[in-house]
Amino acid sequence: MEFSIAPLRPVTREFLAIVLAGFGNELVPLSGDLGNQPCPKALLPISNKPMIDYVLSWIEKSGIKGQGTRPFTVLSDPLARPLRCYLDVLLICPPSHRPSISHFIYSESLASSPSLCIDLQTFDDSQGLSVGTCSVLRHFSSRIKEDFVILPCDFIPPPSLPLSKLLNKFRIETMSDGAIVTTCWFEPPSGKTTVPEEWGTNSQATPIVWDNSTGTLLYVDTLDNTDRNPEEVELRMSLLCRYPRTNMSSKLQDSHVYVCKRQVLGVLQQKGDFESLREDFFPWLCKLQYQKTRQLKYGNVLGNLEGSEPSSPDEGHEDPSVTGSLRVGIVIHRAKDGFCIRANDLPSYLEANRHFVDSASSYTLPSDPQMRSLIDAKASISPDSIIGDFTKVDERASIKKSVIGKHCVVGKMAKIVGCVILDHCVIADGAKLESSILGKNTRVGSKATLVHCVTQGGYEVKDNESYRNERLDITDWEAEADEEREEDDDEAFGDSDEESG
Amino acid sequence: MTQTAIAQTPTKSSNARQSLNPNPDGGPKSQKQMSKAERRDLQERQRAAKAAAKASVPSTPAAKSNTTPTGVTAKGAAQSPASAAKKSGKTADGKPVKGEQEDTSHLHTHAQVDDTTRGLRIFSHFGLPKSPSVTKGDVHPAIIRVGLQFSDFKITGADARCIAMLTAFKAVIQDYVTPPNTTLSRHLMTHLSPQINHLVLARPMSVTMGNAIRQLKLEISGSDIDLPEQDAKNALCSKIDNYIRDRIVIADQVIQETAGKKIKDGDVILTYARSSVVQKVLLHAWEDGKRFSAIVVDSRPMLEGKAILKALTAASIPCTYLLLPSLPSVLPHATTLFVGAHSIHANGAVFSRAGTATVAMMAKLHNVPVVVCCETYKWSETVRWDSFSKNELAPTPFPSSASSNCHSSRHNPDIKTSHNLSVLCPLYDLTPPSYITAVVTEVGVIPPSSMSSIPAALGRTIGA
Repeated sequence: MEFSIAPLRPVTREFLAIVLAGFGNELVPLSGDLGNQPCPKALLPISNKPMIDYVLSWIEKSGIKGQGTRPFTVLSDPLARPLRCYLDVLLICPPSHRPSISHFIYSESLASSPSLCIDLQTFDDSQGLSVGTCSVLRHFSSRIKEDFVILPCDFIPPPSLPLSKLLNKFRIETMSDGAIVTTCWFEPPSGKTTVPEEWGTNSQATPIVWDNSTGTLLYVDTLDNTDRNPEEVELRMSLLCRYPRTNMSSKLQDSHVYVCKRQVLGVLQQKGDFESLREDFFPWLCKLQYQKTRQLKYGNVLGNLEGSEPSSPDEGHEDPSVTGSLRVGIVIHRAKDGFCIRANDLPSYLEANRHFVDSASSYTLPSDPQMRSLIDAKASISPDSIIGDFTKVDERASIKKSVIGKHCVVGKMAKIVGCVILDHCVIADGAKLESSILGKNTRVGSKATLVHCVTQGGYEVKDNESYRNERLDITDWEAEADEEREEDDDEAFGDSDEESG
Repeated sequence: MTQTAIAQTPTKSSNARQSLNPNPDGGPKSQKQMSKAERRDLQERQRAAKAAAKASVPSTPAAKSNTTPTGVTAKGAAQSPASAAKKSGKTADGKPVKGEQEDTSHLHTHAQVDDTTRGLRIFSHFGLPKSPSVTKGDVHPAIIRVGLQFSDFKITGADARCIAMLTAFKAVIQDYVTPPNTTLSRHLMTHLSPQINHLVLARPMSVTMGNAIRQLKLEISGSDIDLPEQDAKNALCSKIDNYIRDRIVIADQVIQETAGKKIKDGDVILTYARSSVVQKVLLHAWEDGKRFSAIVVDSRPMLEGKAILKALTAASIPCTYLLLPSLPSVLPHATTLFVGAHSIHANGAVFSRAGTATVAMMAKLHNVPVVVCCETYKWSETVRWDSFSKNELAPTPFPSSASSNCHSSRHNPDIKTSHNLSVLCPLYDLTPPSYITAVVTEVGVIPPSSMSSIPAALGRTIGA
């Protein structure tokens, strides 16, 4: 028997995927702490699958095929396996989220994308300050040696838009044209659900200007511009000279998926005062295409056309000083082509869950007998609900159009309509929930009513209480508890323990 | 055995109508006697018969609606000519035998009808250019990018494609690591095979690419086994560079000189579509001081003539631009026709962009000498008589011309394919040797009859 050590192969990676898993400040109180444990936004489930799972499986479908089944096995040498990934994932999260996300990644729940090599890194920042995504990227730029893709953790990609479509557009355009970035903008689904204003408004309408025939993003209206001049959108003549036929729309939303050339990081280092990628950096980058002075200033950093000499070599040498067009490409996804959303605030989160509930196949009782025994025969569960494993549903409970997580307990006569209930919740008898989002481990007392509410994980709703259009934080609860005397606190604790048992 | 051969010949023969009975003189053959192909045919026919039986049940009401010419549902007759065409168009797919489909095609609502195919009744074997979306095996990123550029028609032209491919190969070779227990000279070629396959999937291989690959294989197998790996790789890369330099760049320069001698002051040079070699010839001649004018003939849908027009006018050469149908009006004024080639063949024929043959034929009629400018590495030892056997189709939507970032889509509108109209746009055609006056290569000016002597002129026995 001969054992030979497989040689270390240089990994020629084409892209590095960078997934930014932030705090989820818009999803408070859902992403608030559950006791001591943080609830990372990335792990909030949509239809019982953590959000980040959608992004990771999207990444995996686009690139890494060579490592699973290999139709072209190397003939002469079975031991030699070139480790050629096209995509590798660098997942950046705050340090407090690291244990839970790390647990998720390395556990079996990532069975959907087994062949991704995920590197989890933390970025040190405190929760109070929202550190901009630009600083995060600058911090990690030493790890990034190739072209990269920036993705958010909360993007739910449509099935009709594979990541490879964006990658292909990027590949073609950088080679033929000197483009530097490819972005993706989508039309968010028209909100069919009425959402109370307390949940925050969906004010993400940024007007953009783009050129349809070449797929170039020309202008993004930033908050600074709106502050300066709320009435008008100012466009440069040089933009219109180069692209006389453009489209403008404010219906589109940025998916925060950016495929970039490596040289973009060089420019980012130079612009130290930018905070946010989406709001500051990329709109600024769009201006490079048509502003000559800026092109001259940053053109050498962004590099000339590399390797894009399709014509014979001597033709390419005619203009060595010509930089590429420095275009920012855009791929537009229309709502009619598929459901696409960024679940980074409460209305979108609810909408995403609703969509999956609507499109899910009809609910069937679980096949596992142990799980099935937990669900009472007299409970009425509508076919468009999704119920997680090991959830106990008592008799006469009525569940419609909802997503219920694992290990929940739904009491008798409870009515749940259009809700999203995360894992380990306990809903006592007679409770009525409508269009609410309950964080993990929430306890709803008997005969309580919640309409359009969001609760933080671990919140306890007392019996017979009624809330409408509220975001229920643990601080509220603690504030109320402080008002009572300490003995009452203990009793309340004791009572709730008995109830939940 | 001949009887079975008749019974099994596909599909377009009327015998196929009795296809349910495999043996026309009665008595079904036992499965043992049939050959593998025959058994497979029988199996497919039975499968199709089953599906037809299933489809005939819901489609009998559809058959009634077929009689109404208007207001047909999607399932009805509207698709029937298209589906019939598509069925007859599908060749080696292993799909159900077409003879049956002719009977039941107007009832078929098969899911197998691929809505994206164009249902060509003729020349469907030219193949549809598909974009390689799935990367099987380990395809190097540089090859992926080149493949995408090919399939998107961002890089067109035999020279450009060959150079792009060789440049990508250099990157692949530099990134290659020899696995243990084998040598570079033996293994590198198997490593390159999936990359080549990926490129072929993007667009069928051109003769130039084929010749270059053959030369590369020769170099790889001849590389010294004792060289350290990096040296061997560097040597291969420099050989690739030499190939590009010698067979393309320097060859182009020699052709520029030679063909330039044919251009005199006051000439009117006619050219068709865009050949990089012809463009260089004209620009070089102009720089040399010859004062001539040019007529650029162009054709849809590729509209490549715009690119050469841009280059010529940038050099202030007086140019006329016209589309192919108006050629006869300018031919009396032209003195010479210069065209490029995709490949030249042993019988003297020139395979070039579709339309070249027409231009050459008309030029011959008007006694305008037809000069083909072509490097020797485009020589193919095959003999070609027509352009039907192997060709390519222009992709739909038609690609905008490479040099324009303006909106040529306005001038080149997509022809929507409806069920009554299928668009056939072959990319290449063959100019017979009788229409060609001379071929200018770097080994000299050759009449078409002696094209088969090119490899001898290069000092090789067979092949280029």
